[in-house]
Amino acid sequence: MSKLLYKEWKLAVHSVVYLFLLIGALLLVPAYPYGMIFFFGCLGLYFTSQFARENSDAFYAATLPIKKCHVVKSKCLLFVSIELAQLAICIPFSILRLWTLPEGNPVGIEANAAYFGFGLIVYAIFNFLYLTVLFRSAYQVGKAFVIAILPATAVIALMEYAVHLPSFAWLDSVQMADVPRQLPVLAAGVLIYVGGNLLTYKAASKQFERVDL
Amino acid sequence: MKLLEVKGLTKRYPKFTLKNVSFSLEQGRIMGLIGKNGAGKSTTLKAMLNMVCPDGGSIQMLGSDFRQEEERCKQELGVVLGGIQFYPTKKLQAITDVTRRFYQSWDDDAYQRYMSRFELDGQKQVRQLSEGMKVKYLIALALSHNAKLLIFDEPTSGLDPVAREDLLELFQQLVESGQRSILFSTHITSDLDKCADDITYIRNGELIASADKAAFVQSFQSLKQPGEDSLNLEEIMVRSERGNYRV
Repeated sequence: MSKLLYKEWKLAVHSVVYLFLLIGALLLVPAYPYGMIFFFGCLGLYFTSQFARENSDAFYAATLPIKKCHVVKSKCLLFVSIELAQLAICIPFSILRLWTLPEGNPVGIEANAAYFGFGLIVYAIFNFLYLTVLFRSAYQVGKAFVIAILPATAVIALMEYAVHLPSFAWLDSVQMADVPRQLPVLAAGVLIYVGGNLLTYKAASKQFERVDL
Repeated sequence: MKLLEVKGLTKRYPKFTLKNVSFSLEQGRIMGLIGKNGAGKSTTLKAMLNMVCPDGGSIQMLGSDFRQEEERCKQELGVVLGGIQFYPTKKLQAITDVTRRFYQSWDDDAYQRYMSRFELDGQKQVRQLSEGMKVKYLIALALSHNAKLLIFDEPTSGLDPVAREDLLELFQQLVESGQRSILFSTHITSDLDKCADDITYIRNGELIASADKAAFVQSFQSLKQPGEDSLNLEEIMVRSERGNYRV
């Protein structure tokens, strides 16, 4: 697993990914729809897939002493590592925000536990649709992005809309008292992310077995 | 001992079918896979390696079923499929640094030896190499993990005559110990006159013949014109393939 990740980060990652990893700094913008951070995260994954395709990354990987399904595993691991790193980098900015901008975000959701749960759900949906479509051919990155980004954006929009409803005010809170109500969203995010990515690997590998390189 | 046994390999495309290809390669031998462009040589090699999903057939490689033991087989396999097409902006050293981690028997000394023999500079980017140098780099990688079976697709295409001669000599040295075997596809039949022990000939996706070189050449002597000497591989291929291009 570490060899596959090493290969991805050393050869197949587009440099723009490093910029998108730091996109969590947007949490310091006083009024901003923070869901856009997940959108940019998905965009970074698309750019890096396009870069990998232009560099015949799948062909190189298929010549290595690994199973064909490990080519898919390699890409799943890369996506997960980028997404988790991006979310982890968001955490210090979300804490810093509490002190620097205590008046809150008037535009959309606060960077709270539920926000991170939604992020994991957005990425789980994106990964499943993007990678299963991509590995039907191993080259149609644009088609895969269009198919995957629409539902992912819908979840982001839903999250940003929900916090404006009075009954979901707790979703928009950074008060300790509301954390117990937000933690189930985070837990659901973790479960969906783990299960979704396992399912993604299984389904995308099955598609890729039939692909002619 | 057979290092490679291909049985009934079949792959169907809308406008081309690789039909029921079977051949085997003994230890310590060099086999040339010949056929004109589009005959199915690369499809055969890729289908053997699971890079193209075959519709039928089985591959026994190094005593194991390739599909079942893909990882283990690939550890002992060196593959060069055409010139290097990947990571043009990466330095050779970066690609090597990744590749070597995947091989249990990676031999750094052998790698340095081949890089030096082929006059390759690890600090160069892939895009800075000529087509011939790209092939040489891939061959250096393939030879640096003690592979028992080497599969090359058109390894001599793009090489100058000196480099080609050098490579063919290297092939012969590699099989000298009797432990290794080489399967390489080519349409440059003069390469095979120099170094091949066996010939497998594919035409329009069909296996025409697979035998040791002498028997192979002998089996095509019916194509001789009256008064001609024995046909060589090029003449056999040209006479078997020549079409009517009148328009």
